[in-house]
Amino acid sequence: MSPEMFAYPFLFIAIFVESFILVTILSKPARDARARGPATVLPTVAIIVPCWNEMTTLAATCESLLALDYPKEKLEIILVDDGSTDATPTIMQSFAQHPQVRVILKENGGKHTALNAGIASTEAELIGCLDADSFVEPDALREIVTCFIDEQVAATTAAMSVHRPKNMLQHMQNAEYTFGISLRHSFSSVNGIYVTPGPFSFYRRSVVNELGGFRYGHQTEDMEMALRIQQAGHKIDNAPRARVYTKTPETLFKLIKQRTRWTSGFLRNIFGEYRGLIGSQRHGALGMLVLPSAVLSIGSSILLFSLVLFKLTRHASAAINIRAGIPLSYAMTPHGSFDWFYFPTSAYLFLGAATLLASFTLIAIGKRISRTPGNLTFGIASYALLYAFIAPIWLISATSDVVRGKRRGWRY
Amino acid sequence: MSLTARNALIALGITIVLTGTVVYTINYLNRARVAELSAIGDKLSIDILSLDTQFSLLTAAPCDSIASSTTLISELADMGTRLAYAESQLGSDNAQVLRLKDQYSLLEIRDYLITKQLATACGTKPPVMVLYFYSNAGDCADCDRAGYALSYLRDTYPKLRVYSFDYNLDLGALKTLIAVTKVKNTLPAFVINGKPSYGFTSLTDLEKQFPKGALATTTPKL
Repeated sequence: MSPEMFAYPFLFIAIFVESFILVTILSKPARDARARGPATVLPTVAIIVPCWNEMTTLAATCESLLALDYPKEKLEIILVDDGSTDATPTIMQSFAQHPQVRVILKENGGKHTALNAGIASTEAELIGCLDADSFVEPDALREIVTCFIDEQVAATTAAMSVHRPKNMLQHMQNAEYTFGISLRHSFSSVNGIYVTPGPFSFYRRSVVNELGGFRYGHQTEDMEMALRIQQAGHKIDNAPRARVYTKTPETLFKLIKQRTRWTSGFLRNIFGEYRGLIGSQRHGALGMLVLPSAVLSIGSSILLFSLVLFKLTRHASAAINIRAGIPLSYAMTPHGSFDWFYFPTSAYLFLGAATLLASFTLIAIGKRISRTPGNLTFGIASYALLYAFIAPIWLISATSDVVRGKRRGWRY
Repeated sequence: MSLTARNALIALGITIVLTGTVVYTINYLNRARVAELSAIGDKLSIDILSLDTQFSLLTAAPCDSIASSTTLISELADMGTRLAYAESQLGSDNAQVLRLKDQYSLLEIRDYLITKQLATACGTKPPVMVLYFYSNAGDCADCDRAGYALSYLRDTYPKLRVYSFDYNLDLGALKTLIAVTKVKNTLPAFVINGKPSYGFTSLTDLEKQFPKGALATTTPKL
C-alpha cells in the first residue's frame, strides 16, 4: 500500500472541517451576529493588563486603551505588574495619574495571578484582558459589549491581527490570525470556541466569580478558562469587528517556542481535566466536532508533514544520486517540454490543493468580516509557502514535550 | 435538527462532491493520457512501416535516403521520455505500456539497422551508436544513473545515437538483438559501436569507452 493512502482520510476530514466553517459562516446565526448594531446599554468594564517586563510596548498599549470610545466613568484600566525586573513599573506610574488607570504592583507569580489580582480589585460587570504587547481600535470595546446583550454569553473574543508585520514569518502569522478570525466567528455560532486569547477577551464578572478566577492552566490560562466556561455550560461569543493588533515573534526560534507552549498547553488541558469534553454530546459542536478535529489536526499535520518530508527526501536523494558526476550546467537545467502529458495526477495533490484553496478563502473572509485594513497578498503567499513546513515543527515539539512530561519557560 | 448537525451534513455533502470531482478529474486526465499513448502507438506503427519501406528502397538507391533516415532519432527520444513517464504512472505491468514498449523497441532496432546499412552502402563513417540495456525490475541499482548520463551525452553530442532497451521485455526481435550482440544479463549494459561493456561507475568512465574523437563536438566548415 502506498504511504499516500494514509493521508487521504486526513485530507478528507480537513476539507470537511473547512467546509463546515464556511457553511456556518453563511448560516443565519453568523449573519445575525454580523448584523448586530452597537449596544445602547453600556455596562461598567475593567480591562486588566498583566505585565511582566513589558517596558517596550506597555505605553502604546495603555494609549490605545485610553483612546477607546467608551464612557470614561464606566471604564477602568488596571495595570498589574507581575514582578517585572525592567522599567515596566516606572512606565506604569507615568499613567497612574490618569483617573481611569489603576496600578497594582505584586511579586512575580505568573500571568493568572496577575489577572486574579486585577479581578479582585474591581467590581466592574465585565472583565477584559489585554496583553501588554497588543493594541486596540477605538471602537473595539463597543463591538465587544454588544455580544453581552445575550444573557447566556459568559465570554467574548475579539478579531486579532498582527501588529505591523515586518518579515515573511510575521506576514505568515498575520494570514494565520486572519484565518483565525473566520474560525472563531464560525465556531461562535455553534458555541465551539475553546480559547479566549489574551488580546482583548472579555468575561462576565458573575461567571468569573462562579468559576473561581484564572488558573495556571499549563501556561495557557486563557484556554483553561475558556474550557472551564464551556464545561460549565456557558456560551462564548465572538465580536468579529472588535479589532486588536498584537506583536508576534519575529524569528522562527521564538515562534516555535511560543507555539510549542500553546499546543502543549492545549494537549495537557484537553487530555487532563477537560478530556470529558471530547465527544460530549451535551457540548454540541465543541464536543462532537471542534475539539476532536483540533486533536486530529495535530496528529494529521505531523503525519502529512512526515509523509511529504519522506517523499521530498527520497526524490531529492534520487535526483542528486543520478546527477552525480554530470556537469552542473546540464544537471541544474530542466529538460523536456512543458506538456500537459506530464501533469501530475495524484488525488493527494488535488485534495491538498483544495484544502489550501479553502484556507485562502477563509483568510479572505476573515479580513472582510473584520474589516481589517491592509493588503494580505504577501501574507497569503507566505502562509502558502511556509506554514505547512513550520507548523508541524511546533506540533511535533509540543507533542514530544507532553509525552516526555517536559515543561518550558514562558517567554519566547 | 440542530444547526451543527445541519451544517455538518451540508459540509459532508460538499466534501463528498469535491472528492468525487477530484476522482473524476484524475480519471479524465488519465484517460486522456491513455488516449495520447494510443496516438503514440499509431505513430510508432506508421514509423515502423515507414522504416520498412525505406529499408526496401535502399536496395535500389541506398545513398539517396540518408537525410530522411536520420530525422527519426529526436522523435525516438521524445517518445522514449513519454513512455518512461507513462510507465512510472501506469505501472510497468500495464498492458498498453508493454505493447508500446514492444513497438518502440522494434522501431529502435529498425532505425539502428538502417543507419548501419546506410553507412555500409554509402561508404561513409557510421555515427557512434550505443545500445543501452536496462531493467525496471528492481535488479539494476545503477540503471537510473546510467540512463541520465546517456541522456546528457545524447543532448550534448547530437551525432550520438542512443537506443535504450528494457532487457526483460518479451519481444522476439529484442531477444535476437541481445543474442547477436552477445549482451549478458549484467545490467546496465552498453554496446558501443558493437563492443559490449557492463556496469556504470561514472560519466568519465563511460566516456572512456567511446572511440577516440567520437564525443567531439563538430563544427561545420563554412
